Amino acid sequence: MPPPDPSLLNRRAFLARAGMGMGALSLAPLIASDSPRPHFAPRAKRVIHFFLNGGPSHVDTFDPKPLLSKFAGQPLPDSLRTERKTGTAFPSPFKFQRYGQSGLEISDLFAKTAAHADDIAVIRSMHALVPNHEPSLMLMNCGDSVQARPSVGSWVLYGLGSENQNLPGFIAMCPGGMPIKDSENWQAGFLPGAFQGTFIDPQHRELDKLIEHIRSPHASRLTQRRQLDLLAALNSAHRNSHPAIPALDARLNSFELAYRMQSEATDAFDISREPESVRAAYGDHVHGRQTLMARRLLERGVRFIQLWHGAGQPWDTHDNIAGNLPKLAADIDGPIAALISDLKQRGLFDDTLIIWGGEFGRTPTVELNESGQSKLGRDHNHYGFSVWLAGGGIRGGSVHGATDDFGFRAIKDSTSVHDLHATILHLLGFNHEQLTYRHAGRDFRLTDVSGDVIRPILA
Amino acid sequence: MPAPSPSLPRAAFSLFLAAALISPAPAALKPPPDALDHWAFQPPSNPDPPAASDPSLQPIDRFLRASLAAAGLSPATPADSRSLIRRISFDLTGLPPSPADTIAFSKADAANRPAAVAALTDRLLASPAFGERWGRHWLDLARYSDTKGYVYGREERRFAHAPTYRRWVISALNQDLPYNRFLLLQIAGDQLLPPASPDLAAMGFLTGGRRFIGVTHDIIDDRIDVVMRSTMALTIQCARCHDHKYDPVPTADYYSLYGVFQSSTEQLIPLQTTDDAELKKRQDALASAMASHRADAAQRLRSRLADYLNAQRELAKYPEEGFDQILSPSDLIPASVRRWRDWLRTNASPAHPIFGPWLTLAALPPDRFPDLAAKALAPLLASGSLHPAIAAAFQPPPDSPAVVASRYSEVFNAAAAHPDAPGSAALNHLLNDPSGPFQVPATGIVNNELFFPSDTVTALWKLQGDVDRRLIELNAPAALTLTDLPPAANPRIFERGSPARLGPEVPRQLPVILAPHDRQPFQSGSGRLELANAIASPQNPLTARVFVNRVWQHLFGAGLVRTPSDFGLRAGSPSHPALLDWLARDFIQSGWSLKSLLRNLVASRAYQQSHSPANPDASSVLDADNHLLSRAPVRRLDFEAVRDAMLAVSGDLEPASGGPPMEITDPANRRRTVHAWIDRQFVPGTLRSFDFANPDIHVATRHETTVPQQALFFLNGPFAAARARSLAAASASLPDPERIQFLHRQLYQRPASATESASALTFLTDAKADAAALPPPPPPSPWSCGTGSFDESPQRTSSFTPLPHFTGSAYQGTPAWPGGPTGWAQLTAIGGHPGNTRQHAVVRRWTAPISATITITGTLRHEPAEGDGIRAFIISSRHGTLLTADVHHRDAPMAVPSLTVTKGDTIDFLVDIRNELNSDQFLWSPHISAESTAWRADQDFSGPATTPPDFLDPWAQYAQVLLLANEFSFTD
Repeated sequence: MPPPDPSLLNRRAFLARAGMGMGALSLAPLIASDSPRPHFAPRAKRVIHFFLNGGPSHVDTFDPKPLLSKFAGQPLPDSLRTERKTGTAFPSPFKFQRYGQSGLEISDLFAKTAAHADDIAVIRSMHALVPNHEPSLMLMNCGDSVQARPSVGSWVLYGLGSENQNLPGFIAMCPGGMPIKDSENWQAGFLPGAFQGTFIDPQHRELDKLIEHIRSPHASRLTQRRQLDLLAALNSAHRNSHPAIPALDARLNSFELAYRMQSEATDAFDISREPESVRAAYGDHVHGRQTLMARRLLERGVRFIQLWHGAGQPWDTHDNIAGNLPKLAADIDGPIAALISDLKQRGLFDDTLIIWGGEFGRTPTVELNESGQSKLGRDHNHYGFSVWLAGGGIRGGSVHGATDDFGFRAIKDSTSVHDLHATILHLLGFNHEQLTYRHAGRDFRLTDVSGDVIRPILA
Repeated sequence: MPAPSPSLPRAAFSLFLAAALISPAPAALKPPPDALDHWAFQPPSNPDPPAASDPSLQPIDRFLRASLAAAGLSPATPADSRSLIRRISFDLTGLPPSPADTIAFSKADAANRPAAVAALTDRLLASPAFGERWGRHWLDLARYSDTKGYVYGREERRFAHAPTYRRWVISALNQDLPYNRFLLLQIAGDQLLPPASPDLAAMGFLTGGRRFIGVTHDIIDDRIDVVMRSTMALTIQCARCHDHKYDPVPTADYYSLYGVFQSSTEQLIPLQTTDDAELKKRQDALASAMASHRADAAQRLRSRLADYLNAQRELAKYPEEGFDQILSPSDLIPASVRRWRDWLRTNASPAHPIFGPWLTLAALPPDRFPDLAAKALAPLLASGSLHPAIAAAFQPPPDSPAVVASRYSEVFNAAAAHPDAPGSAALNHLLNDPSGPFQVPATGIVNNELFFPSDTVTALWKLQGDVDRRLIELNAPAALTLTDLPPAANPRIFERGSPARLGPEVPRQLPVILAPHDRQPFQSGSGRLELANAIASPQNPLTARVFVNRVWQHLFGAGLVRTPSDFGLRAGSPSHPALLDWLARDFIQSGWSLKSLLRNLVASRAYQQSHSPANPDASSVLDADNHLLSRAPVRRLDFEAVRDAMLAVSGDLEPASGGPPMEITDPANRRRTVHAWIDRQFVPGTLRSFDFANPDIHVATRHETTVPQQALFFLNGPFAAARARSLAAASASLPDPERIQFLHRQLYQRPASATESASALTFLTDAKADAAALPPPPPPSPWSCGTGSFDESPQRTSSFTPLPHFTGSAYQGTPAWPGGPTGWAQLTAIGGHPGNTRQHAVVRRWTAPISATITITGTLRHEPAEGDGIRAFIISSRHGTLLTADVHHRDAPMAVPSLTVTKGDTIDFLVDIRNELNSDQFLWSPHISAESTAWRADQDFSGPATTPPDFLDPWAQYAQVLLLANEFSFTD
């Protein structure tokens, strides 16, 4: 949960302890001077990832397929196998328009976000491995469908550290509870637990429910100060009778950090300190609040934030998309647009990477119920889907790759999840092949054994 | 990095190459050709301990001192008694010594250190706490969890067997079960033990991993990894997709082991006979449903034989495991298509009396099929070896592959319909063969779920869950074992790890590392017992070395090999190769006794030395990493030891009861940490922040990080505060100076110094002054919100139950509204909604904080035209009903001009649904005024009264500081 501050944790120390055969194994060498270092100048310093869990439909949002209307009700020439049975071509009930100078095509579902079309690079040729949520969530978040591997946020934190030791460096917010696969989505895998994402349910308003043990129920601030002063005296006497061991000092310092964290966290999560106009722009609902909270956290040095849409998988729209998608999109369209404007106004947009996407897309064919009738929705589709990026290092107003005429399968500039991850790490200043960690006999990386940076979308 | 001796024989070299030939294209990196000569793969040498001038030196010290001397260093002086007893106690039991034990040990130590240490060691090794400490070390390796990780909702997510496995590990270590036996039982107990032996619990080692939503390849991968790394520090898992880049492990070796675990099925076995009728009922329900679904599935397999055979010509259309589809009974089941594929590959040859024609015809090019079929069949028909029904079916020859399939279908369906017809026996034998393609394997749902349509899978998992839940409820000991299936086909390599790309077949056999010269395929069953025997063998070059190295790590802070679960080529050389070999051989000769090994290590002078090196400057330069052990390491206690020590010193530690595991975050959990509930899907943040072993991964060395969340846990969490209160209470009868001494002895096993006492007294004086200066808590609100009903005959509120959930703006029954028994009942600052029946009216209650004469004003508004409106009452506890009103689609004044109340009286503002639940929301915010003061329901509205903070008293504050200090969390 916590910030692996360079003074407390350091990358070289982990490397050493993980197998290089140096450093005292029993004591984490906690040396202040060795801050983590990217491989080259980063274009982005922090990341916010809107995770539309359940699988947002690309053909209804960022990948227009007019041919679906022409073939409406007819079987597609190449209908692929997915989780459930689907039928004929199912045109989008939503209108697409061109936006900005780039003329990027976006459906009415994201009309507010579309105002920033010239900042957005849409990858229309993403693909995953299977049409099932669980492995696809793991692939998108951790780079492996199955094994316990560190999540993207954990790798980023491991590589870059946190800029604010008083706040968790990697935060996952999800209104109402956990998404499918729970905290596996932001796990640290074989990295130390300190790199794990901290889960926050933004429906809570009380700080103690947002961050565990952030307030003392049994001591006043004054009492705590006195206790810490006495503690420091005891610890320094103890240290004087022992060889110089960084772990002793680190533990001593951690209590002072904890003391400061109590007030810093209170401030960071308190959106009532924002002007009314700002709160109104984001919207007075849970998605608006969590997005605004995220901006306050990013501003304070939190490295990686994931904003999940809600508990379970809200975007898993197997039926009635005409009714369901507008509600879902409305939850986040305004907050996303407000965030982009707000970051620009604060001069943070250019070094903040914004990611939008889910674990896969949806079929261009209509899902059928057990009797073979249309459910007016779409099944999962891992063969082709869209993800977009904006902000630090991204060439706005661009489209990368394409799905086939109907949106079923990525056919042009086919882009794997590892490619996306390689690109994210690249923007943060890392060669994805070199950001590695020794575990179980080999050097692991986020992108396993493949992945190419998607150069065309880079500014 | 490692430097294997160049003089070792080369025979292994060619064997490795031979193995590599049948494996997929090698990756860019390859192990060096002499990789099999790596030191760890050679039998331990038989070194003589170096000579020593001091004849009393044990062999361990002779080895260590020789290295020290070679570096020009001397060992540190012996540790003082207190440091030593703390060190030994934490290392062996994970608990601190008591003050009395410390005093007794100091006396004995002064007289004769070796005797005192030996006596102490024996006592600690005999204590049950020993197994609890060392059991946890093993559970780290065994990626122990009480749950399966993420599973679909249909499946019970808790393991019924995990706590039994944990108790078995603890007890095996306490009994000093020889380590080779300890391993054998965990890997192949099913083949060594009588049925229902309590030791079958040992197999939880294999079966306790994550379930990977049932994907076989990943479950097996987890088992290969946990066995190979735990026992032999081999990272064979690296060879799942390609040959190991560093070690001589070809992919073929991975799939040889894959075959061992693939040929096993799981069985959940209750280990105590129980007469629980409910359990029996659920087991019967599961068994009978399974039998009937298997029969249905067999019927479908037979009736759709033609489709299954046709599917063999387009296998790519049937996705592999891990690509889940919702399947209906009318769908072809991909797993059954693959079962046919594998069965035909293994069993059918052109000479096969039944499937010979299939195989022959399948080889023909489809476009020329009609021309070639007759010619291809002719020799088979002429041979006379075909089953008569098959021979008849292929006259005249078929003119397309589809006809071939349908003729097979006709033959088998006819045989099933007329089992007594001549020739039907052989066909029915095949139809009914449980390991054949017409049947779903006769295993539990965990192993055959892929062969059923989705709804059936759900139904069977629910029934299995009913059994699991009952076993868990009964807290009944259970084992989840593996049992060998009749060996199926040899495994095939999955090229690049993908089951869709089947490579060559490999035998089930040992990895070449373990048998470089005389490797033979396993002979019996899956080969799992043979594998276990090879691991637990005195001839195995790795097993004993790996284990003694792990034990060394726990006592000396780092292993002689610093990568305890990777003894491959990247492991580097041991810091003391001869010592490692000597220890391994001695361990085997001692009968694989962990306790003997520990006695030897603890008895060494190296272990007993102090943390201050003899020559600090030389030590810091020449032995910076303490590889040479020129001093004792200062070590931080892990989370378990800190938590357990806090419980122990405060007198709060409860012995393990054998009861069901409790959440670590449960304030009532005062048992040792090892017994806590570990849910791999929801590991509490507390455990994660303290670097608890990740239950998904074999963990050989815990990370050691220091983060503020750890400090917050101790500062603000309830756990340390509760211990501090216990310590304050336990010492409350003592005068202040002695109380300080008591706490120091209890926590640190030493008296407080004069400086410490003085600063303690200053702290306490200040803390007492602070406590006296605290402002009084604010008075409680007179308003409360609840439900009740209006009782007609006494015209009173019949009961009042507070609405328990506060959202920040409303009181309601459950977090999700409406919900729970109170349904729609809700009260806000300005109004609310009654509950669903008259029994659940909403009641806003005012409790008189003073005695006074009051006036009540306010207006009740019910807006909707729908429904029949609401009933409202104002009821005094002293005077009964003051006002009633039926209000529908209008405003009603709700005023009581004058009323005398006595302090503590209540006034209830009650609203119910009248006669029907329909559009009953209302606005009503009463005001009550007295002569000099007033209470307004809307303005006074607030969350539930926070209980006044329960501050630690000054002594508890002080005790908490002592618990938090570094001295408590480190051993010297």
